[in-house]
Parts: sequence; C-alpha cells; structure tokens
Amino acid sequence: MTEPGQGAVYATTVTKVGSQVQAFLDHGILIFFGDHAPEELHDISVLHRADVADDGPQPGDTIHLGDVSLEVLAVGEVVRDNLLNLGHLDLKADGRTTAKLPGDVCVAVGALPLLAPGDSFRITRPA
Amino acid sequence: MAEYKSVKVSAGRGGWGGPLTVTPSDSRPLIASITGGGIHPVAQRIADLTGGEAFDGFSSSAPFDKLAVAVIDCGGTARVGVYPMKKVLTVDIHATSPAGPLAQFITEELFVSGVKPENVEEA
Repeated sequence: MTEPGQGAVYATTVTKVGSQVQAFLDHGILIFFGDHAPEELHDISVLHRADVADDGPQPGDTIHLGDVSLEVLAVGEVVRDNLLNLGHLDLKADGRTTAKLPGDVCVAVGALPLLAPGDSFRITRPA
Repeated sequence: MAEYKSVKVSAGRGGWGGPLTVTPSDSRPLIASITGGGIHPVAQRIADLTGGEAFDGFSSSAPFDKLAVAVIDCGGTARVGVYPMKKVLTVDIHATSPAGPLAQFITEELFVSGVKPENVEEA
C-alpha cells in the first residue's frame, strides 16, 4: 500500500529475524539481507523478500520499518548495489549526515525497532 | 591428493589489515565468493593461483571449516565480521576498516581490505 504523494522505490516483507539481531540493535544497527543470503549470515540479519526493488535509498527518503518511519540522513556509495544485488542494507541510527562506512544508511539517533516475520520494510521518496 | 600453492593478498589503496597468506588444503579447499552475482575476479584469481575451488556463496553453501578464504564486497558492518569471527581468512574488495559489534574479531591476521586482483600475488 503506497501512501498518497509518496512512491515506494523498495518494498519487501520480513521472512526471518536472526538470533543476533537484538545484539546489533543494542548498538543502533539493523542489518538486512535477502532471504537467499548464505546461511552463515542469517543469525545477524533480518531476512526479507522484495516485491519492489527499483532503487536504493537517498537522503530525504523515508524508511518505513513496520509502523516506524525514519528519514534517511546519509547514504554510503555501495548502498544501492548492496540492496539491489543482495537485499543487503546496514541501517545505522547514528545521526550522521555523512556516512562513515560505504555500506551505511544513516538515520537519527534513537531506538530501532525489532522487526518480526510478516512486517514490512519500505523506502519511499517524496514526490 | 591435490597440489595447492600459496598466494599473498595485500591491502589495496585505502585498505586495512593483512597481508594474508592463503594456502588451500584438502580439508579447506574452498575459495568462497560472498559477493552476489557469481565468482568475483579476486576470488577467481586466488583460485587460479592456488588450485583452490572457487564457489559462489549466494548460490550454494559450505561449512566455515571448509573455507580457505572468503572474498566479500562488504560495506563495513556485517560480512566483515562474520567470517573473521569464525576464523576464516577474509578478503574485502572495499576499503573498509574494523567497526561495529563484530570489530573485535577483525584482526590484521585474518582480514585485508581494498583488494584488487593485482593485490593477489604468488607467495
């Protein structure tokens, strides 16, 4: 379901949440991989299956995690390739307006939600 | 009994860690490419020079203890730490340095980044 005035450039549904995801949330980090990722990455990741995969996030986009919405502040240079090729994204609640690492997507400092299978993860862009 | 050779993998421009000496063995013959989209050129070059077997980690699976080395295209948080944590030599094509919750497992003895095919040489 797309909200009026905003188009989803990426939309996906959570299929599995790894046992180490909470430990990463405690550091303000949320890691996504497509559900075809190697098994050794499953423990640390939110696995998901995408329906819409048109683009990666840009500053000013909104990331929707279930019913939590977060404005994208900064995006590293390999983010788009990682997301479109692997379903991979490193979300960092570090408040930075310049990404520290090439795979980082930065949002405001604050708690990131623990997602569950069936939750949606979307990236929308202002019209 | 296969015959294996060693390669030295050094950090490229802006990279960190290493150099690593990679020598596959009968018990650890695999050169894993955890990069998506098939076998990365760095993984292929390591396989060609050592006699190890390259495989695409996103198409098939293998236990950690079968890996001579993992080649990753990590942006700095997830794959950089998972393979060193399991004591697998790890080669990152991006110029990353340790960060995040898994940073403690990333040591110069296990990890090298910023690697291009030309940074892989016969040892």
